[in-house]
Amino acid sequence: MKFHKSIVIILSLIVSLVLSACNRGEQVAGGSDSKKVIGIAEANMSNEFITYMIDAMKEEDKKHSSDFEFVYTDAQNDSAKQMNQIENFISRKVDAIIFNPVDTVAAVDIVSRANEAGIPIIVVNRTFDGVDKATAYAGSQSIESGLIQMEEVAKQMSGKGNIAIMDGEMGHEAQIKRTEGNKEIISKNPDMKVVLQGTAKFSRADGIKLMENWLQTGEKIDAVVANNDEMAIGAIMALEEAGKLDEILVAGIDATPAGLEFVKNGKLKVTVFQNATGQGKAAIDLAVKAAKGEKVEDQIIPYELVTKDNVDEFIAKYNK
Amino acid sequence: MSANIENIKQNPLNDKQLLKGRSKNVMQKYGILLVLLFLCVLMWILTPHFLTVTNLVNIVRQMSTIGIIAIGVTPIIITKGIDLSSGSLVALVSVIVASFAQGNYPLLIPILMAVVVGVAVGLINGTIIAKGLLAPFIATLGMMTAARGAAMLYSDGRPIGGLSESFKFIGQGTILGIPVPVIIFALVGVATWIILNKTKIGKYIYAIGGNEHAAVTAGINVKKVLILVYAYAGLLAGLAGMTLTSRIASGQPQSGLMFELDAIAATVIGGTSLFGGIGTIGGTIIGALIIGVVNNGLDLMGVSSYWQQIVKGAIIVAAVYVDSRKNRTK
Repeated sequence: MKFHKSIVIILSLIVSLVLSACNRGEQVAGGSDSKKVIGIAEANMSNEFITYMIDAMKEEDKKHSSDFEFVYTDAQNDSAKQMNQIENFISRKVDAIIFNPVDTVAAVDIVSRANEAGIPIIVVNRTFDGVDKATAYAGSQSIESGLIQMEEVAKQMSGKGNIAIMDGEMGHEAQIKRTEGNKEIISKNPDMKVVLQGTAKFSRADGIKLMENWLQTGEKIDAVVANNDEMAIGAIMALEEAGKLDEILVAGIDATPAGLEFVKNGKLKVTVFQNATGQGKAAIDLAVKAAKGEKVEDQIIPYELVTKDNVDEFIAKYNK
Repeated sequence: MSANIENIKQNPLNDKQLLKGRSKNVMQKYGILLVLLFLCVLMWILTPHFLTVTNLVNIVRQMSTIGIIAIGVTPIIITKGIDLSSGSLVALVSVIVASFAQGNYPLLIPILMAVVVGVAVGLINGTIIAKGLLAPFIATLGMMTAARGAAMLYSDGRPIGGLSESFKFIGQGTILGIPVPVIIFALVGVATWIILNKTKIGKYIYAIGGNEHAAVTAGINVKKVLILVYAYAGLLAGLAGMTLTSRIASGQPQSGLMFELDAIAATVIGGTSLFGGIGTIGGTIIGALIIGVVNNGLDLMGVSSYWQQIVKGAIIVAAVYVDSRKNRTK
């Protein structure tokens, strides 16, 4: 009896959960037929940057809510799941798709499916080889952030010194391009060289560990250049604990609220702002235009260098 | 080893047999201790920077999070269970604790939250498993997904910062020169050792892992023991999450990824059998240290991250193989 009861309770819990989830989906997806529909396929809603981009999209989509419906899906960083979601959009005959690719290789195929179905597809945030086949791209050029970051590091170090590069999750587009950008600049400065390189998986905890271990190698490090702010903060925490933050320059990318705080107090010397709001707005704007049949063009949102001199300007962006 | 299981199966509560089982476990423990020593000597030969006090302290501190989780997972695996939810639980605890570690709450509040959330999730796991609704693998797999979702929901998928200085002491402070996470790791180890070796519950845990049916027949309240075991693992995962959050001064819904697998690896390297009935806390701690030494040594040598993963995988397999062979020959 007891057994039965708990099964019933659990089942009814699950059913009610599923129902309430469906209901919420319905509110977004359902509605009158007269409205045009835009499907938005997000790569990973648990990525901090993407959450800011979505905030901007939802802010922007309100402006068009009288004529448009916006359906958001989350691939949870799973390329196959994203493929299914896009296929659903296509079979539903949405009027435009906003596509934030999980996998920059599979992306080419997804774009061509939308093209075959005659549905405009706007790629946002992550670019890839073959992105020109899409209707338009709204975002930045990943490699640029690595270039800007390293250029500023080189400037602050007068073009010489030993560099340690902290990679993000290996194989991730941002890791590949940012490190590539870093190395391009280093190769132009004969007095700079990479003495250490390792991955801290974009994570602060791993950044602390890797930096602690690097400090034990006895290698002379003049700057730690990290693929993102979280790892850079991890490196800063380990350096502070070892009393070596004065000797080693630390640089990150992303200009997250936490990162900006570290720039403000002078511990993080360099970070690079990627405009989540700008990308989100541009994507909605392009998709709405494309769905109406207007002609659209790529919108490249530039990265911006952040140092102590201009950090307040960026802190203000988050406090709006 | 299989003969050993047979013994327990035939006679689950015979003290002599259990004792025999334990003494064999001691051999197993020393086997893996030799592997750890061998790795240390190897790293010491390969890189002169390995054997310094700072570096050794670093290794233990770096492994303390996984170590604490692994100590909680060990009794579960001894009962023939598994816990896949610990990594996600770390994330859930991390964001909840962080939100209570901001501003003016006294230090006790975030600590209490870590305990409450950890135990609550563990109790849910334990209850589902003890009632026989689902196998441990499935129940905790579900929890792994759900707890990660809950962490995202609670935090909006964003890190929570601005933690109080007093809270940061848990992960960053030292007492008499020893990092606090290492002290927590040690205390948890001692407490769990006592539970497994000096209490009735401990005896029951081994008996259930040896043969659950026999344990029931012998009058052990198996359900109660199982619920306690999972709740205890939840508690420790909660403490690990709290320590990590304090260490990185940020509550992160993305933290703890794959921690459950590292913890299980540490436990299994340490000689705990996935078939139940066998395992020691000493072994698990050494297992965690082996993973820590390998991570640290490869970083010190500047081995590329692709190779690091391959080497780590090979060492996990080799360590267990060497250990099981040693057992066989004795």
